[in-house]
Amino acid sequence: MPTPPFAQLLRQLPAGVATLEGAELRFGFVNEAMRELVGAHSEGKPLAEHRGSLPESLPGVLSQVLASGKPYTAKACACGPLPGSKDCRYFDLAAEPYHDDRGRVTGLLLLALDVTAQEEARQQAHELALTTRHLDARLRVLTETAPLISFSLDAGGRVTYVSPQWYRFTGQPPTADLTAIWPLLIHPDDRLRVLYQAEAARHAGTGWNHEYRLRRFDGQYRWMLSRALPEVHLPDPPVFWHGALTEIHDQREVAEALRRGEAELRFLADSIPELIWTANAHGLIDYYNQYTTAYSGLTKDELGPTGWVSLLYPEEQPAAARAWVESVTHGTTFEGEYRMRRHDGVYRWHVVRARLLADASGPRWFGACTDIDEHYRLHQVLQTQYDELARAHHDLDTFVYAASHDLKQPTLNLRGLFHELSQAATFHDPDQAVMLRLVDDELSTLEHTLRDLAATVRSQRAQQEPVEVLDLELLLEEVLLGLRPQILHGNAEVEINVTEAPGLLYSRANLRSVAHNLVSNALKFAHPDRPARITLRSYLTPDDHQPVLEVRDNGLGMELDNPDNPTFQLFARQHTHIEGTGVGLYLVQRIVRSQGGHLTVSSTPGEGTTFTIYWTRPE
Amino acid sequence: MKHIVYISRAVRPLSDDDLNALLSQSRHNNARDGVTGILFYSHGNIAQLFEADDAVADNLYERIARDGRHSHVQKLVDKPITSRSFGDWSMAFHPLEPQGFTTLQGFLLPHQVPPVPESLAIADALLVDLVRLAVFGPDPSQPYQHPVPAPLT
Repeated sequence: MPTPPFAQLLRQLPAGVATLEGAELRFGFVNEAMRELVGAHSEGKPLAEHRGSLPESLPGVLSQVLASGKPYTAKACACGPLPGSKDCRYFDLAAEPYHDDRGRVTGLLLLALDVTAQEEARQQAHELALTTRHLDARLRVLTETAPLISFSLDAGGRVTYVSPQWYRFTGQPPTADLTAIWPLLIHPDDRLRVLYQAEAARHAGTGWNHEYRLRRFDGQYRWMLSRALPEVHLPDPPVFWHGALTEIHDQREVAEALRRGEAELRFLADSIPELIWTANAHGLIDYYNQYTTAYSGLTKDELGPTGWVSLLYPEEQPAAARAWVESVTHGTTFEGEYRMRRHDGVYRWHVVRARLLADASGPRWFGACTDIDEHYRLHQVLQTQYDELARAHHDLDTFVYAASHDLKQPTLNLRGLFHELSQAATFHDPDQAVMLRLVDDELSTLEHTLRDLAATVRSQRAQQEPVEVLDLELLLEEVLLGLRPQILHGNAEVEINVTEAPGLLYSRANLRSVAHNLVSNALKFAHPDRPARITLRSYLTPDDHQPVLEVRDNGLGMELDNPDNPTFQLFARQHTHIEGTGVGLYLVQRIVRSQGGHLTVSSTPGEGTTFTIYWTRPE
Repeated sequence: MKHIVYISRAVRPLSDDDLNALLSQSRHNNARDGVTGILFYSHGNIAQLFEADDAVADNLYERIARDGRHSHVQKLVDKPITSRSFGDWSMAFHPLEPQGFTTLQGFLLPHQVPPVPESLAIADALLVDLVRLAVFGPDPSQPYQHPVPAPLT
């Protein structure tokens, strides 16, 4: 068997091999791998002068090794940088003394094994471990200081970790068996639900999110929010669930109180026998109470955000809609009296009020509709009766005034005649002087009485009757309301048309009196063959724009030119077969004249009469 | 035949180009499908009334509700009508550069929107007035910025 060529083998060995000879440690044999470390042409040169990439301290150390004669090993020595590479490399260096025949140490055998890859891996592992330790410490600080309890469960539901807050919260000793004790700390009413939900989530491999009451160290049950997620490493099923338990007792109490408050308010609103509703800031209604649906017979969906307006009396809808838009635009209070349709089709008067109020959730409208139908009707009746009384009173006043005024002249005449008589005539009476004085006194008293009467009525009227702009339509309607029995009795048709001149500056009672007398005359003197048709028309004269009221009927008519039957005189009566005093037209004439106006009449007997009242004096 | 009214919020403000595209696309589609009505837009606030045959209107609303360009779609009214109140379909909004728009068919400046047609029921006319107020504010001739809600105290 041939001897293997050891020198050849050594030269090609992947580890560095060199001999260092003598006290100066001169390179003897240097193989290929070692040449890479120390450079070429090192043979015969001392190590100290031809160190190459070997560590700086190596020559000194090796001198000591030579002196001591004991082997030396250095692990993972940084050598470098090597030629052609900027990086440091790591070598295990071993120095073995060798001896001559007599056992004296004559040199060192130096071995260099490249361990760079291992060293780098080791260093990485070290750094990783450091980072992990940092992260771990940080995580622990976080989990143990955050105001929540963190926990981990395994797939079997066993608690594998819980942060120290759990012990602080529950007051349990550190030795407690978590898996066993935890369910017992859950409120009995919540326990089954919680255990079931957690188990279901573990089976399904999902997380959970539920609330339950947990017993605190002081025995109080506090609401907690439990949230957990599985730790997933696909494709395996999850084996751990990590989660946190947060105390939400206070929030829940507040929310509960709000819910309770809201429910109580709803209950209140639903129990009140009034129409209650709320609207958002844009004026769109989002809540009607139960009474509203019961009253209207419509569902909340049928009513919708603006459906309330369709409950109103049709003629009142446009104005109410405009008023609501106006209120929403400016945020001003909405208020009005409207007739609202009940489920049975009956309209009842309501006062509707809505105010914009702001709370934490922003501005909202709160509205209520209160039934005032009874009040309204009572008010209407009282108003009608009051108007009737006022009118009667006024008529009486006018009559007294007119009578006193018109009796003044005959009284003066009487006094004059009496004066003449007392001068010219002689009486065969011993008491002549007394009698004459008595008659004269009585005449004076009559004169004074008439004057005082007129003065009294005049002054009263001046106080009682302010002149104002009257809504003619409203006022004429009121007059017709007062004549309702006669209108119904005669099956009469009365039309009011005031669109050309809807307003008039006049005394209310005077106008009422004029209209009442003319309309009641027209009704009274209706033609027996046909129902009365009366037209009340207010307009302005085309030439000088004087306000005029025209009252046209289709009744009996009058003979205007009959000198035996003057129209506008006191107690003058054209149709003696019809009950009356003959005062009406006279009063009308007096009132109109007293305000500077005048009155004309045209009539055809058997066909009808038209009265035209010019309210003011032409300029 | 029915009409539907809704309000919504645009996900992001619509530019003049967006509005122009919406106007011409919708005019085209609505004329084809027999949809009439009006759309109000200002500062991301949207309100629309449209009238069409039942199936067309329901389809259109479903498409609108799914449209990702707006959210908070809230249907206010959905009810049968006997006849149309609008002659065509138009849009009212404040463009940043109005001069390019004034000649466009179906475009209206908010303060030029005609009064609500009389053929609408009062309740529906009131609703249109209120949503117009909600979108354009008290003065439609001025671009309207909703007041920022006050912070909770």
